[in-house]
Amino acid sequence: MSGGLLWILVAIGLAVVVIRRRSMAVALVTAQALVLVAFALYDAKDGEDVVAAGALAVRAVALATLFLLLVSRTREQRPVHARVPPPVRAGAAVAFALTLTWLVSTLGLDSRDAERAVLALVAFGIVTAATRRATLFQVLGIVLAENGLALAALELPGGASLTIELGVALDLMLIALVAGVFHERIFAEFGAGDSAALRTLRD
Amino acid sequence: MTSREQLAWAIVAAPAIIAGLVVLAPRRVVTTLAVTGALITAGLGLMLGVLELRSLSDPVVGKWIVVDAAGALLVSVVAVVGLATVLVSPAYLAGADSSLSPAHRQQHTYFAVLYAFWAVLLAVPLVGNLGAAWLLIEATTAASALLVGFSGKARSLEAAWKYLILTSLGLGVALLGIVALVAGIPGGGIGALSWRALSTYSSGNQSALVAYVLLLAGLAAKIGWAPVHNWLPDAHSEAPPPVSALLSAALLPVVLLVAWRSEHALAPVIGVRAGQDVLIFFGLVSLAVAIPFLWRSLPWKRLLAYSSLEHMGVISLGIGFGTPLALAGVAVHIAAHAIAKAVGFYAATPLVEHEPRATEHAVTGIARTYPALGGVMGISLGALAGLPPSPLFLSEVLIVAGGFEAGRSWVAAATALLLALGFLGLAHALLETTVGKARRRDGAHPRGRRTLAVLGGTSLVLLLGLSAVALWLPGSGFVDALLRGIS
Repeated sequence: MSGGLLWILVAIGLAVVVIRRRSMAVALVTAQALVLVAFALYDAKDGEDVVAAGALAVRAVALATLFLLLVSRTREQRPVHARVPPPVRAGAAVAFALTLTWLVSTLGLDSRDAERAVLALVAFGIVTAATRRATLFQVLGIVLAENGLALAALELPGGASLTIELGVALDLMLIALVAGVFHERIFAEFGAGDSAALRTLRD
Repeated sequence: MTSREQLAWAIVAAPAIIAGLVVLAPRRVVTTLAVTGALITAGLGLMLGVLELRSLSDPVVGKWIVVDAAGALLVSVVAVVGLATVLVSPAYLAGADSSLSPAHRQQHTYFAVLYAFWAVLLAVPLVGNLGAAWLLIEATTAASALLVGFSGKARSLEAAWKYLILTSLGLGVALLGIVALVAGIPGGGIGALSWRALSTYSSGNQSALVAYVLLLAGLAAKIGWAPVHNWLPDAHSEAPPPVSALLSAALLPVVLLVAWRSEHALAPVIGVRAGQDVLIFFGLVSLAVAIPFLWRSLPWKRLLAYSSLEHMGVISLGIGFGTPLALAGVAVHIAAHAIAKAVGFYAATPLVEHEPRATEHAVTGIARTYPALGGVMGISLGALAGLPPSPLFLSEVLIVAGGFEAGRSWVAAATALLLALGFLGLAHALLETTVGKARRRDGAHPRGRRTLAVLGGTSLVLLLGLSAVALWLPGSGFVDALLRGIS
């Protein structure tokens, strides 16, 4: 994958870390997944690669539909305030990505640039889940990290791994469905999809 | 296909089919169907354990199925705990006043998800491929999160949410490690992730070690190893008691088996010592983090949850030491912890009926106001503390001795010290919980006194039996088979 495309994927990931609206964040992670689909199709060498790209596309569309449905069914009076302001979130995300890149010397992918992009997306996903109070954003953090893993699968020496793409797609849809059930229940119970309400269990 | 392979498929298929049947069954037969299915599933699981005991020198290592000593041990444990969980579930459901599903579908939903969870739990020790094991572990997250939040109450929703998010992120990191492994194994694809193929990794020791560390750091979140254990006390304390038993006694060691298999499979590439060091690190940190909580006055299920953190640390240390003595200790520890912990969680249902404050406060003097319940809680806590002749005392002695045998004297000494501190904490909790000063209670004893007597008696017999096994196990063919793994 070209350096420019990798930068686009990373920039979209960083935008998810800082953006305020849930629907925009859903659009961004979906766009990111569709960029991966486009690359997978462009780079496809055989039928198996096309199926892998198809799995990625189905997952992207299915998740977007699910998340937008959840957004429409759980309208917030006003966006849930994040725990940490956007510039600090962005700084933490970049710092974590750089630390991971420094710690993980190699992943064995086609290029070191791709490895850096994968590690950055995983770091951004973890930071999103850790610093956002909105429950839907925490799930989007997982999706962001999994987009990074999908990129890693596409950049494997010898091409995409159909099994990994299918596995990630299935797994992510299952987890997102269960998270959707809980998001709605949390919204019904607390009047907002705000994880700040979920802090009663402590020792 | 050998008889053990056929049995392995049947063990996974049986609960999966029953999960489907439970959804379709009329309400009046759901419990009967669930209990019948549990007897069949547990019978199949134990049958596999017996067959494997008779063929220890000849493990089944197929492309998708593996049946070896460690796998058979875990399948037997999951089968027994699953059976007991199904048997005690009707008592929990009878008192459940709310749930995620409508009241008329409560039983259907509970048993269908429980059986789906059980099926996946049984599949993990039998799967012959790291990639497939990862998928199954992720599936356990989806099913068990629904069970943790089953009551639909605020606290259980919080616990389920934390569990879902933290373990999913952890498993994402584990998948990164798996992708890194695929990159270095000739041929790539899913076949590269069969347990035997992992040792053919050819992109260098350093990158294999990075992949291994990522894999274990990710799995740590699911095993509940410190420092990524935050979800564990919440999920175990807020889940329905029968589900807590399955989470602690079955899920944690099953995922630990995947870490164990990975260490074993990658040892030729990363070096035996390096692989074991990572397990020892997580084991020691978990043990150290758990001890202060065992000294605190905690609600019953929360205390048991922190005890799970301690025991997963001990098992991890035993695997990390990797000597025959330590592995004999690991085998006994996995089985004895499962029995003692499951019984402790099952006791939580009558405990909350007898003392409703128990969900949020430490309880004292239960044996004074309800002797049968106090007895069962005493058996559980005494065994978990490692009070002789508990099999957990013997297994801990074996593991520490194994540490010295491995030449890791400092780690073994630190383990012994931490275990002694843990023992003191739990022994204090044991005294307070059972014969401490009793609060004034209504005197109403919940239903199921007979069930408690059966539970207490059966667990006592099984635990004493395991103590005898612990004396016989070192030097046996079973330990040799554990040492060989599937190589």
